Amino acid sequence: MGALAAAIAVGLAALGAGVGNGMIVSRTVEGIARQPELRGQLQTTMFIGVGLVEAMPIIAVVIALMVM
Amino acid sequence: MSEYESMVRRQRKWMLYLLSILVLGAGFTPYTRVFNGLILGTAISFYNLWLLQRKTDAFGKSVVDTGAARSGLGVFSRLASAAIGVLLALRYQEIFHIMGVAIGILSSYLIILFDMILEIIKQKKKVKES
Repeated sequence: MGALAAAIAVGLAALGAGVGNGMIVSRTVEGIARQPELRGQLQTTMFIGVGLVEAMPIIAVVIALMVM
Repeated sequence: MSEYESMVRRQRKWMLYLLSILVLGAGFTPYTRVFNGLILGTAISFYNLWLLQRKTDAFGKSVVDTGAARSGLGVFSRLASAAIGVLLALRYQEIFHIMGVAIGILSSYLIILFDMILEIIKQKKKVKES
């Protein structure tokens, strides 16, 4: 049961992060394709967004492995 | 130097400062196990940060060159590196403190936030002065 719980925790966290990352990346691609000169600023915003979104599945992986 | 490149440099600098403080803590305090865990976690976090910075740059370049995203962001690699760190800490519990590793893995995210807040404060000051 421990392995199942860990799998559900990591899976759900990865699902949420996937949706969030997808939204961030799609908007960034749109922005850079429209105005390539703004690449630096858009990349910076995307980096911060992806970094903060990704913290959640990493916490989930760590806690799942500790609990398992 | 672009805004992105200067941010990358600042974040790497903060991570190196943090790692050097942790090495001092492991060497000169009695809490060696906790600091070993923090060093392991922060080193993995540094790798994650470096990978995210590199992949984001490659992603931006590919969008400008081809108009579409040709490369991923390496999410799975970062999750796997965090898992390796926790497994190492669980296997060698006499050397690494598990909570230290867990906190260390999250240090790069704290540094990203800290750096962002500092930059916002600097920009506000510049706007006030001008």
